[in-house]
Amino acid sequence: MITDLSNSLPIAPVRPSRARRALRWLLGLPPAYLGTALLLLLAALTRPQLLSAFLLPLIARQAAPLGLAVIGQSLVMRARSIDLSSGGIIVAVSYILTSGYFPVTDAAAMGLCLLLGLAIGVLNGVMIVKARASSVIVTLAVAMILMGTVIALSQFRAPGDAPEFLSAMARQRVLGLPLPVLLWLAMLVPVALLLRHTVFGRYLDAVGANTTAAALSGIPHLRVIFICHVASALVSVLCGFVLVGFVGKGSIALGQDLALNSLAAAILGGVNFGNGRGGMLGPAVAAFMLTFLFNFLTSLGLGEPGRLMLQGALIAVAALAYSLNRQRSH
Amino acid sequence: MKALRSGISVYTLALPLLLVVVLALAIPDFLAPQNLANISGQIAALLIVSLGQLVVALVAGIDLSVGSVISLASCLVATQNDPLSGVLLALGLGLVVGLVNGAGVALAGIHPLIMTLSTMTFLQGLAFVILQIPGGRIPPGLRELVNGSFWGLPQPLLWCAACAAVIALLLHRTRLGLHLFAVGANPHSAQLNGVRSVAVVMAAYVVCSLLAVVAGIYLAARVAAGDPTMGAAFSLESVTAVALGGVQLTGGVGSIVGVLTGALSLGLITNGINLFGVSPFLRGAVTGALLLVAVALQRRRSVGL
Repeated sequence: MITDLSNSLPIAPVRPSRARRALRWLLGLPPAYLGTALLLLLAALTRPQLLSAFLLPLIARQAAPLGLAVIGQSLVMRARSIDLSSGGIIVAVSYILTSGYFPVTDAAAMGLCLLLGLAIGVLNGVMIVKARASSVIVTLAVAMILMGTVIALSQFRAPGDAPEFLSAMARQRVLGLPLPVLLWLAMLVPVALLLRHTVFGRYLDAVGANTTAAALSGIPHLRVIFICHVASALVSVLCGFVLVGFVGKGSIALGQDLALNSLAAAILGGVNFGNGRGGMLGPAVAAFMLTFLFNFLTSLGLGEPGRLMLQGALIAVAALAYSLNRQRSH
Repeated sequence: MKALRSGISVYTLALPLLLVVVLALAIPDFLAPQNLANISGQIAALLIVSLGQLVVALVAGIDLSVGSVISLASCLVATQNDPLSGVLLALGLGLVVGLVNGAGVALAGIHPLIMTLSTMTFLQGLAFVILQIPGGRIPPGLRELVNGSFWGLPQPLLWCAACAAVIALLLHRTRLGLHLFAVGANPHSAQLNGVRSVAVVMAAYVVCSLLAVVAGIYLAARVAAGDPTMGAAFSLESVTAVALGGVQLTGGVGSIVGVLTGALSLGLITNGINLFGVSPFLRGAVTGALLLVAVALQRRRSVGL
């Protein structure tokens, strides 16, 4: 941010030119905005078919799980915590829904998944808030437990088909938009409004800015962190629903890269540990950007190696530009 | 003060001891020399990587790229005809990766999770460029360094001892070691006291990457091939081992003994599950549960990361 110091300085500083200020303002935005614009421009020039009315909604649909995951991730990150358990929760959801191990109706199975998500969220929250354990370790351990249990169990029972309801939902379109995208928006908008206009949102900002100061001011900081973790786990369950619907079959490889990708998306969207500058829109745009990037790189005919290398380099460059710009403005 | 800084508690020491006692009582073959050699062979790579993770954790960092560095190092060694040039190339790579990670974290202020996540992704791609599928050839000279025994001791044990000794010297007998603890405990105070914290953090990442390269060379020599996905599991495993050993990811707290117990515990869990004939897939679940118990017993003051 450019702060005007002219009042406090004896000599009026030389104001940077308009172009420089504009550039600085652009670089000060979350890297996702500029990145998405550049990426779309690049695609329009070299691979215009990616921007067609047919493919673009499909890419948005593909971005929905990451978009959902990053909602939960940015919530906990704003409270100076982290959630790496989404991969484990998604695999557990996939197993409950598709293994046929639970002879209940699909609706009951989905309810069971939500209960599991609630339980995991509470477990994460209690361990982090009450036992004061590191959230990296706790959520990692929870992911390992879920993953290990599911893999061990699925030796005895091959995964079956997804509930028809979820597969149908993944294919359904409303007003030209795929249903998963609408689900994503239906989660995103209320959460964004909630954080902007409720006391909880202000509490979250205060806890993120300075946990000790928040605690001393009588803000229930532990409860805020706890609620964020429960919300994040429940969002992971929703991710699981969408992913299982996409694939149409159970799989133990589902959503494994989501935990780390959502971390990258949150940071590229301007949300950092204890800092929600990018709001909820920034991370959402970043989720779209990353998914579009994967598709764009694939369409360029790069194999897996080239795709991975470019992806890593681009995330680093975006984080670097943002970080350097913030350092200079401090 | 010393105890606070090492992070060692009754629980970190008791876990591997308890595992040894349980396994020795339940399984007669456990204490057989062959099995002990197996265990040391299995944990050597993990221990070496975890020592690097410890050094980074001391300055409040985390390195997710160690897994890809291991894979890449194994591919490099397996594709070079001359063992010396392969090893030197891999070490050079470790140096560069460490400098890049360190510069990103310390100079540019990128969060270590993001910085090392991006190098992890990049290097995984590079490993696939060098070797698409497991293969290549490891020179016999290098293989002998891993598989034989020396003065009656299994070679892997010597690799562990050498790496642990080097890191112990670094942490407790050099200025850099003291600075690592100082920067991790409070970067601002360290800076005010004249510690060049940027250089210290960069050095920590370089040490970590170099140790990952050593682990990669060790693994490649052990299985006699390079494998572009060989190290993938090690990033999170090493964080697990370090956490089991009482090292705090918030910096300034950790010890080599802690890392030893952490890596040993993970190795014993694997070994025990093999010997008991339990499904190997449950290993992750058991490890995760133990990790939860271990961190629940070591209550910290700070909450969150």
